[in-house]
Amino acid sequence: MTTIPTLTTERLTLRAPMAADFDALRAFHSSDRSHFVGGPFTEAESFDYLCKVIGHWTMRGYGRWVVTLTGAEDRPLGLVGPYYPSDWPEPEIAWTLWQGAEGKGIATEAARAARSFAYETLGWTTAVSMIAPKNVRSIALAERLGCTREGAFDHERFGRLDMWRHPARAEVPA
Amino acid sequence: MIPHLVDIPQLETERLILRGPQASDFEVLAPFVMSDRASFIGGGADKDITHAWRVLAILSGHWHLRGYGVYVLQPKGSDTPIGSMGPWNPEGWPEPELSWTIWDAEAEGKGYAFEAMTEIRRYAYEVLGWETAVSYIDAANARSIALATRMGCTVDESAHGPHPDDVVYRHPPLAEVLA
Repeated sequence: MTTIPTLTTERLTLRAPMAADFDALRAFHSSDRSHFVGGPFTEAESFDYLCKVIGHWTMRGYGRWVVTLTGAEDRPLGLVGPYYPSDWPEPEIAWTLWQGAEGKGIATEAARAARSFAYETLGWTTAVSMIAPKNVRSIALAERLGCTREGAFDHERFGRLDMWRHPARAEVPA
Repeated sequence: MIPHLVDIPQLETERLILRGPQASDFEVLAPFVMSDRASFIGGGADKDITHAWRVLAILSGHWHLRGYGVYVLQPKGSDTPIGSMGPWNPEGWPEPELSWTIWDAEAEGKGYAFEAMTEIRRYAYEVLGWETAVSYIDAANARSIALATRMGCTVDESAHGPHPDDVVYRHPPLAEVLA
């Protein structure tokens, strides 16, 4: 039984992470593309990482979903959702796409759904997204979502992360 | 909203409730992880609260990836957890382990770990279907070695643990445990 809610958008299903997602996570974590999230990682680190993705739900009552294309095979495309580990200055809407899912508007669509969930269901009154200054793809997405850059913080392992402030709840179409 | 991710079967012994990890355990787990009492399990006085947070998140997430995991021990009639123990098998572990940790120093020396581990080992054999079980113990961890010995474990020289200083204690098989 799970009570991690499942979200659906026009094209996507956002569902609870599970053991079967490990191989796709590994493919991403062992590639250079994972450097914005602190990678590359070893197998053991990836296992701990996936544990933490799920454990975050236990710790906070919310967390990141695995994004899949509805109707296609249940292939995990990445992680999107509200995220607030203990070393973050405030809760954020986080997104990471794994291999081969970029350039199709998937992250935008999933992040919009996650932001709506944070505002409507979790009752957040504001939201940010933390983005590495060189992560141009994520910055473009933040801009598409109407975010504006507002300060930065220095993370012990990731270095500087810019904080992108989302439009307030009232300014986002439900 | 508290997400309930998998059904974690609650176990019970004479004095203890054994249940799944939950967010409120952080209050007791965090000071333990950030103390040198946790040095044998990757904690220590040099670790910060973020490290402790990750430890609890991993304890919880392991359940959902493996379908089993460590239980949190709670004495009956108390709301305060005293430790975590049970089946542990993260990526990179040579074989599934039965692990144990008492968080609260005050709870040591009362036989709680022996009581919980006896039930958890039975569960691993009878319900999870394990045919064998090991416990990886740092060679300098005298207290854990004493518990392993009390549980009938013997050193398995042919096996190796995940860390260089580990000694592998092999548990007696199910037939002997039930005898």
